[in-house]
Amino acid sequence: METRGEATARRIAELLLPRRDRERLARVSLPDGGHGYDAFGLHRAWVAASLAIGRLMYDRYFRVESIGAEHIPPTGAAILAANHAGMLPLDAVMLHLNVLRHTEPPRLGRPVADWFVPLLPFVSTIYARTGVVSGSRRNVGRLLESGALVELFPEGVAGIGKPFRERYHLQQWTVGHAELAIRHRAPVVPVAIVGAEEQWIELLRLRRVHLFGAPYLPVPLLLPPLPVRYHILYGEPLVLHEGRAAADADDAAIVEEAAARVRRAVEALLARGLRARRGIFR
Amino acid sequence: MNVLVTGATTPLGAATVRGLLALPDTGHVVGAGADPWSPLLPPRGARFSYVESDLTHRRAVRSLLGGPVRAAHVEAIVHTALHRSARASGRRVHRLNVDATRALLELAADHPTARIFVYRSFAEAYHVAEDVPCLVGEDHPLELAPDEPQWVRDRAEADLTVCSHLGSSPLRIVVLRCAELFAPHAGSQLYDYLRSRVCLRPVGYDPMLNLLSMEDAVRAHLLALARPVEGVFNIAGWDTLPLSRLVALTGRVCLPVPGPLLRPLYRLRRAFVGAQFRYRMNAPRFHLGGVLDGTRARDELGYEPRVGIVWDDARRALDRERPSVRGRRAARAA
Repeated sequence: METRGEATARRIAELLLPRRDRERLARVSLPDGGHGYDAFGLHRAWVAASLAIGRLMYDRYFRVESIGAEHIPPTGAAILAANHAGMLPLDAVMLHLNVLRHTEPPRLGRPVADWFVPLLPFVSTIYARTGVVSGSRRNVGRLLESGALVELFPEGVAGIGKPFRERYHLQQWTVGHAELAIRHRAPVVPVAIVGAEEQWIELLRLRRVHLFGAPYLPVPLLLPPLPVRYHILYGEPLVLHEGRAAADADDAAIVEEAAARVRRAVEALLARGLRARRGIFR
Repeated sequence: MNVLVTGATTPLGAATVRGLLALPDTGHVVGAGADPWSPLLPPRGARFSYVESDLTHRRAVRSLLGGPVRAAHVEAIVHTALHRSARASGRRVHRLNVDATRALLELAADHPTARIFVYRSFAEAYHVAEDVPCLVGEDHPLELAPDEPQWVRDRAEADLTVCSHLGSSPLRIVVLRCAELFAPHAGSQLYDYLRSRVCLRPVGYDPMLNLLSMEDAVRAHLLALARPVEGVFNIAGWDTLPLSRLVALTGRVCLPVPGPLLRPLYRLRRAFVGAQFRYRMNAPRFHLGGVLDGTRARDELGYEPRVGIVWDDARRALDRERPSVRGRRAARAA
């Protein structure tokens, strides 16, 4: 029995998603708790619908270029750690689609969102249906134990809200990804997203407006984002757990050093990507 | 093994009694309940006896353990007696939910034959919030907010009472935090919610839920008795689904309504048809959901959900029990 939401998602995918993408998606292994949903709310029809809508932005608007996607492990648990910016998490959407497009066999990443996201009406449901999980150690730990590919943004809200003048300067770099990587023996693939940091210029920030728990309300200079070109670069996987026991994940010094290693790798990739591009729109 | 099952006249208690009697290595089962008898129970016989006992009095608990339980050489106690009605509140309800649990534990610890204590707890005792995982492990915080209804507070307090004896009691204690048992008269809030033809949910939210079938609940209790384990285990159900799908499967109409309107609307429903469903109690999970992580039960208890809800049966049962003002009056008169 199909609900109205599932039927709508299916129809969107049938209308907008080319056959090759549908066939590719059919090959993605998705967890199913019995009714077509996993414990976090992921559903295949919704993934197809998000792919159908997102591909227009991915192909036509941001013209995403992928470099080094072969570094993403084809199977098993892994963490993608990327820089984060752009006022709204369009970079996460582009990374999500890029992973699905450029992995063989195709893999669906599980983006990790900030804790306030489940409070947002509509957004929370759409995110959950398309594979996003709220950022907590247990949620991510269980995903890694089940062999999932987790997409993490260690800069968090500080990254997405960074001022234009701070673009491509990594903000606070949380260490949870390194801890989880050591504990769950998962390699970390550093990812640099070039382009997103110029997509939107924030005019002002309404700090006293906390809609549904959001830390602030950003007001953009222009309503649509600039049609910058995205370049997504993947580095070689970092095996942070090499020579470490799972219990070392409780050692703050080891975890910080491992997280700093990931940060350096992302910074190096960002520098490479910025050097290689010919302009923000090309 | 000889077993005492409290709350034996409830659907879960009676099903546990039947499940125990179906096992060849079960000796004698003593059922205890506040009612004189229940048609759900098997007939009394050589392997089953029933004792009417009001556990809200400590003296009754003492008499039960020192009398029929001692005489039957009961080795294990399965405690499922708890008030199911969300309408019930007050000191007497607390005495059954919490004080009786404490008394049973304390008296069983000094009992000459009892050595296992299995407590049926509730996933509803877990705290649901945006800053805690939606995948709920055994170390998840319990709901201890003072403004919560007694239905929730008692469940959390009773659970903590049992947990506080873990490791210090001579008994082997197992706490089974069961997902919502989706069955009639089992105290399920969702079951009562679905008795209406039109089910309202907050617009913009479609949370994930996990439901437990009676068969799986009974199997978890039997495994807790049989396996040499101790501690707290989440007992997840086979059905993991969003609220909208649940409503559709039961043949109801799902109507998204702005969140702030739901509480007064469901209060009206409660006032007119005497329903059990309390929106206030369910509001966090109607926004954020929460699914039990049953990994520990799988690894240590050997429990994995196997039996889903039979939706056709559920739909028919719900259709028969649709709430109405006339039904409320009849229930009051009865």
